[in-house]
Amino acid sequence: MSNGLVAAIVVVATSTQAFGQCEGTRTEPGLDRFYSQTWGTQFNGQRFQPAANTSINAANASKLELKWVYGLSTNSPRSYPLVTEDTIFIGDEGRGLVALDKENGCVRWENTEIQDISTAIVSEVVDGRTLLFFSGRGSGAFAVDAINGELVWQRFIDDDNPVPMFSGSPIVYKDKVFVPISSLEVVLTLLPFYGCCTTSGGMAALDSSTGELLWYRPTIEEEAEVSGGHWFFVDEFGPSGAPVWGAPMLDTKRRLLFYGSGQNYSRPASLTSDAIFAVHIDSGDIAWVKQFTAGDAYNLACGAGLPNCPEPVGPDVDFGAPPMLVNLATGEDLVIAGQKSGDVYGINPDSGETVWATRFGRGGPLGGVHWGMAANPEMELVFVPISDIPAGSNERPPQPGLYALNFNDGRLVWSVEREAKCEARSCWPGISAAIAAGPDIVVTGSLDGMLEIYRASDGELLWSYDTATEFSAVNELATKGGAFDAHGPMLADDLLIVSSGYGSFGQEGGNALLVFSPRRESP
Amino acid sequence: MTDSLPLAGRGRRLVATLIDLTVVPVASLLIMLVSGVFESAEAYAGNQIYIRGFLLGVTGYLIVNGWLLHARGQTLGKAVMGIMIVSNGTSEQAPLWKLVIIRALFFPVLYLVVVFPLTLIAVIDQVFIFGKQRRCLHDLVCGTSVVYLR
Repeated sequence: MSNGLVAAIVVVATSTQAFGQCEGTRTEPGLDRFYSQTWGTQFNGQRFQPAANTSINAANASKLELKWVYGLSTNSPRSYPLVTEDTIFIGDEGRGLVALDKENGCVRWENTEIQDISTAIVSEVVDGRTLLFFSGRGSGAFAVDAINGELVWQRFIDDDNPVPMFSGSPIVYKDKVFVPISSLEVVLTLLPFYGCCTTSGGMAALDSSTGELLWYRPTIEEEAEVSGGHWFFVDEFGPSGAPVWGAPMLDTKRRLLFYGSGQNYSRPASLTSDAIFAVHIDSGDIAWVKQFTAGDAYNLACGAGLPNCPEPVGPDVDFGAPPMLVNLATGEDLVIAGQKSGDVYGINPDSGETVWATRFGRGGPLGGVHWGMAANPEMELVFVPISDIPAGSNERPPQPGLYALNFNDGRLVWSVEREAKCEARSCWPGISAAIAAGPDIVVTGSLDGMLEIYRASDGELLWSYDTATEFSAVNELATKGGAFDAHGPMLADDLLIVSSGYGSFGQEGGNALLVFSPRRESP
Repeated sequence: MTDSLPLAGRGRRLVATLIDLTVVPVASLLIMLVSGVFESAEAYAGNQIYIRGFLLGVTGYLIVNGWLLHARGQTLGKAVMGIMIVSNGTSEQAPLWKLVIIRALFFPVLYLVVVFPLTLIAVIDQVFIFGKQRRCLHDLVCGTSVVYLR
């Protein structure tokens, strides 16, 4: 065989090899043990990992070291992983869905047909096989076979909204997949000749086996009507908006789905914006809706001074963070919800009545509480990350940091007001990304790129790692970290997994999927 | 080369094209505002934005140029510059169906000049004007040439 022919064969063989695939990596993932059920880790949305699911704790947090890095194909990663005994499934936006060897980040399989994955990956056994469920931001809900990544079904849910967006993570429970829906209209308002707005957010229930729509619950029931206009010819409509940006939380005992809604896009405002919904999972009927900020109408035209901005302009204080369910010392349950205004509420899950309320910082369009809180049910604490990044009106002083409340009464137990830890780069110390809790720790990633672990009982900083730097990735892609935002860290088994970098809103972009593990002491 | 009418100068053709490139979008914009074709969410679902954008451009082009093409073989720009489109090698006005169905399809291509790297497509169409017959690619495809008015 000539040298030229050998070279040609090597080139062809290399080019057909999957991106980041290592020699000898088994393609079939293990599917016997899953470390999370939902974006909120368990159905209750607490983002809490008990000791049975994570070996990382206050005793070994200081021994964490970087195990491996995978370079993602986006500057603003928005997928949250699913971990099994040997595999990490994650959406690599711009590339596809990938199954990585948990030990070293090598690719087991990849599905490059679905390139806009923006949510957590969740799983369920359906018709005898394990399926992975997730949403593509502009392409709808998907089910794929966990063994090989092959598409089982795709559903673009445009039954009620012709321009849906799928930013919130789905939950799958037995035969149903619940898919949160927001709307592209918030972006279309930037077009001055667009007549804002007619669509609303919603929640859809799909058959987990086929993707067939079982029910759809819009956040605004009434039809939008002409409510104003500009430039003589362009009509404006309302009410609209109230998108469901975040994941729902599931109470299997009450068979209720809880989720938050965002602001209205136009006026008149509805009674269901900036609200918490409780919806029956079997019918989609509303058990109750409780609005926490009335009259909040805002869209992207407001920031740009364009004619679609509603008058008067609202504060844009969504419930972007999913609510969680906790069990109080009295034995009663409580829904806890955090809002971009910086308010945190304890809510009766049966009636929607507010049991307690407290507030931190100044809040604003980017939080306040932005992506998600966590809780420790054993310590009866809820941990509240506050962003307070400058945006919108800033009348109150900012208080970026982490706050621990006793979830029985909302009383502050400890707090950490963060200061930016960055030299030679501009950054903000707030915590916008969702956080995670372990048996006696809280894990946070902040907008300044710092990944930190605090002791859950008193807020003492145990470990800190600056991720706003370059990394050498197992898939050999140029890789750097940046600001933490969106879904935040995950604790699973002996790993701490997190995506660093988020280039939206002028923040520091990056594409690093970082995996940490405690250093093993030699015997 | 036509039997009796001289070929239009390249400079005049360029100015005529620039007039058309300016007037047609303005007309399309007015039609868009009046008709509301891009005002609703439905316009941005699936491929609607491309379909509506194409139809809007065609409508704008025909409103500005339709009657002139039918009656005199001219666009607005060509009328201003005193030139017209004829069947190549004759002094006869080119058939309307050719002007609308073939030649007009090249018009939106000219806007690609600002969309790098698609710029090349517009350049390829135009570069043929530097040939002896002063015929752009769209002239060659359509069997037309551009001449001074009688």
